Amino acid sequence: MLIKLEGGRIYDPANNIDGEAGDLYIRDNAIVAAPGENETVHRTYALAGKIVMAGAIDLHTHIGGGKVNIARTMLPEDQRDHVMAKSDLTRSGGGHAAPSTLAAGYRYAEMGYTSCFEPAVLPSNARQAHMEMADTPIIDTGGYAMLGNDDLLLQLIADGAEQQTINDYVAWTLQATQCIGIKVVNPGGINAFKFNQRALDVDDAHPHYRITPREIVAKLSRALHELAVPHPLHVHASNLGVPGNYLSTLATMEAAGGLPIHLTHIQFHSYGTEGERKFSSSAAQIAEAVNNHTNVSIDVGQIMFGQTVTVSGDTMAQHANHNHAHPRKWTCMDIECEAGCGVVPFRYRDKNFVNALQWAIGLELFLMVDDPWRVFLTTDHPNGAPFTSYPHLIRLLMDRSFRNDLLGEINPDAASASHLGSLQREYSLYEIAIMTRAAPARILGLTDRGHLAPGALADITVYHQHEDPEQMFAKPMLVFKAGDLVVEEGRISKPVKGTTQVVRPEYDPAIEKEIGRWFERYHSISLQNFGISDDEMAEGIGSRVTVHPCREGRP
Amino acid sequence: MSTLSMRLRSPLSQRIDMSPFTPRRLAGRQGSEIARIPIWLGNRQLECGELFEIDGVAGEEIIIQSESDRLDRIGAGMDGGIIRIEGDAGAYLGRGMRGGSLLLNGNAGSAAGCAMRGGLLRIEGNAGDFLGGAITGERQGMRGGTILLKGNAGDRAGDLMRRGMILIEGDCGDYCASRMIAGTLFVNGQTGSQTGYAMRRGTLITTRVPASMPASFNDNGLQHLNFLTLLGEEIQRHTNFSRIMDRARPPRRWLGDLSCDGKGEILFWD
Repeated sequence: MLIKLEGGRIYDPANNIDGEAGDLYIRDNAIVAAPGENETVHRTYALAGKIVMAGAIDLHTHIGGGKVNIARTMLPEDQRDHVMAKSDLTRSGGGHAAPSTLAAGYRYAEMGYTSCFEPAVLPSNARQAHMEMADTPIIDTGGYAMLGNDDLLLQLIADGAEQQTINDYVAWTLQATQCIGIKVVNPGGINAFKFNQRALDVDDAHPHYRITPREIVAKLSRALHELAVPHPLHVHASNLGVPGNYLSTLATMEAAGGLPIHLTHIQFHSYGTEGERKFSSSAAQIAEAVNNHTNVSIDVGQIMFGQTVTVSGDTMAQHANHNHAHPRKWTCMDIECEAGCGVVPFRYRDKNFVNALQWAIGLELFLMVDDPWRVFLTTDHPNGAPFTSYPHLIRLLMDRSFRNDLLGEINPDAASASHLGSLQREYSLYEIAIMTRAAPARILGLTDRGHLAPGALADITVYHQHEDPEQMFAKPMLVFKAGDLVVEEGRISKPVKGTTQVVRPEYDPAIEKEIGRWFERYHSISLQNFGISDDEMAEGIGSRVTVHPCREGRP
Repeated sequence: MSTLSMRLRSPLSQRIDMSPFTPRRLAGRQGSEIARIPIWLGNRQLECGELFEIDGVAGEEIIIQSESDRLDRIGAGMDGGIIRIEGDAGAYLGRGMRGGSLLLNGNAGSAAGCAMRGGLLRIEGNAGDFLGGAITGERQGMRGGTILLKGNAGDRAGDLMRRGMILIEGDCGDYCASRMIAGTLFVNGQTGSQTGYAMRRGTLITTRVPASMPASFNDNGLQHLNFLTLLGEEIQRHTNFSRIMDRARPPRRWLGDLSCDGKGEILFWD
């Protein structure tokens, strides 16, 4: 089957194409070069004046795993008030802040997203997380395994283990949990919480292991670098949400020692202590540091006003915030001594000084970080806002007068404490295509997507040209997933299934001996039942594995 | 006053959701239009007219006639007017209702009057579990209005109740007034075991000694409570069983549940 997309305006930053009209050809699941004249084109879509981009990629969205399920169970009203009935093609689902797997997959596809990554896969919960993601239709998924609060790694570092041992452990974890990256959440802090510590700054020693978050970040980022894993260490830095935490964030950037590092939902880590209320924006300092450190990439974790639920492995931060729970119910728990889990429902209010300033800080970061290749569009779904608010967020970035109108509606003290009103920048479609397609693909090492050159997977989104970017991005005209037309005019037309994206760096299998001893002594299941095989992924869990290559030229 | 009548044509094989049929939601609609309102029956979607004979004009009053106990959510969210049910009702009768009168002459299923905020729910027959309780997952149950039950209630009547009044002429099952936060619950008959379990505040008045109470309740002695006279007058507007207020002896008061706030009270005449 050969499909032609004719005459659309193509935005393909990976190949430096900025809105030029052109044709694309899809054969089976891939984009191909223009065929010979005597070949039959089976289907042609006339797309003159339409906007063509690669399928969007969300590199940080909590769509699977234990904490999301806890949020779903904790908030039956979220399901009740947002029911999605089944149709001839789609199954029923629901939920707004913590949507069901089906609702999440359909809605992502309806917005033109074709790949999404769950950033907090606890190794012991990986099976459950992959099952939920396998149940999420249409989109390709992947996960980042959480390390850095597990006792084994902390013990290894405390014992002064060789970097090579840590590398092997990291690579083994990626293999066993079928993940594409490694995330560290509040390095050492979740573990320290269990020793009754309520804060752990970058250079504070862990109360038991006597190691610092700085060492953990350094060891893990080096491990990923030496293993040639494309995605750098994905860091949820220390002191989330604490005024003055921008210093911890800057220290965490330094901790990577010049190696690549990705700081996630950095909006929650960009707070100063100035002003009457001892809460201020430090977006300028953070943006300057990001601009100066080319090894650093960030995603923003923008907040939006309204009801949502915060789900995080960071028990320390979630416990500190539980008094703000709305509705008033919350939970924090330990998970298998590997890390933690905290679920706190939350409503961000535009008239509240802190919430309004958080909103402004996120936008300041977007607008002050110069290089769109190193800043990604996220709301840390659902922590800042549900992912369904992305079209609105895109409009805020692309439309300065709209942004300033909303700035006039928020808490006036917060509005005057922010530089947002003075920022002139408006994102172009090309830049949006970078931050939602080309850049996430590049930083995850996904060479097969995020661009539209021949050979790429035919993940393509076609939008109607519209003055209001919010309407444009909310309802694409066409979405192709691996060559299948899955969405037409914002409605699901073919509910396909995605695959799971992984990387497989090599490691010395001798590490399993050491891990096995640890498992035998401390873990609740044995080592051989822990890892997930490719067969189990395909047949038991229901999502085939796509292995992506590691970087060339291992150091 | 215009009346719309809906008569169930034949017994149902599956449960159905009746929440679209309240006086406010049907206001100004023609009979033929109402007959086209979709209803899910199991995994099939039917039109209302296939299940019900519809007669009359939509207005202040709706009469539902059925010989089935599978009509769920009758009067859910209603905020005015009258719904009369000739027959039984399924679960969630008057769920979250805010006003108006919901009058049932048969039996109700479980969770009748759950999350109710206002209006009158009157049940001539018996009610199932969780009368005046909470919607699953919510932290507060009934928050206003009056429930009048002529028959017996199942377990957990008034669970998580926050405000309003429940008057029960018959008996109650176990865990009556469990997790009650506030409000008034009146039981003319016998209450079952663990009456007042995890009760935080609120008042349960019953004529007989409860079958059992949690160990964390304490006897507070005989009490002369003037408010009972006032409450009696209020209750008399709905029912005649308030004669118990005229008893010569003062009631005995037990306070609990001390495992929670411990400010709840159970009053009875022993």
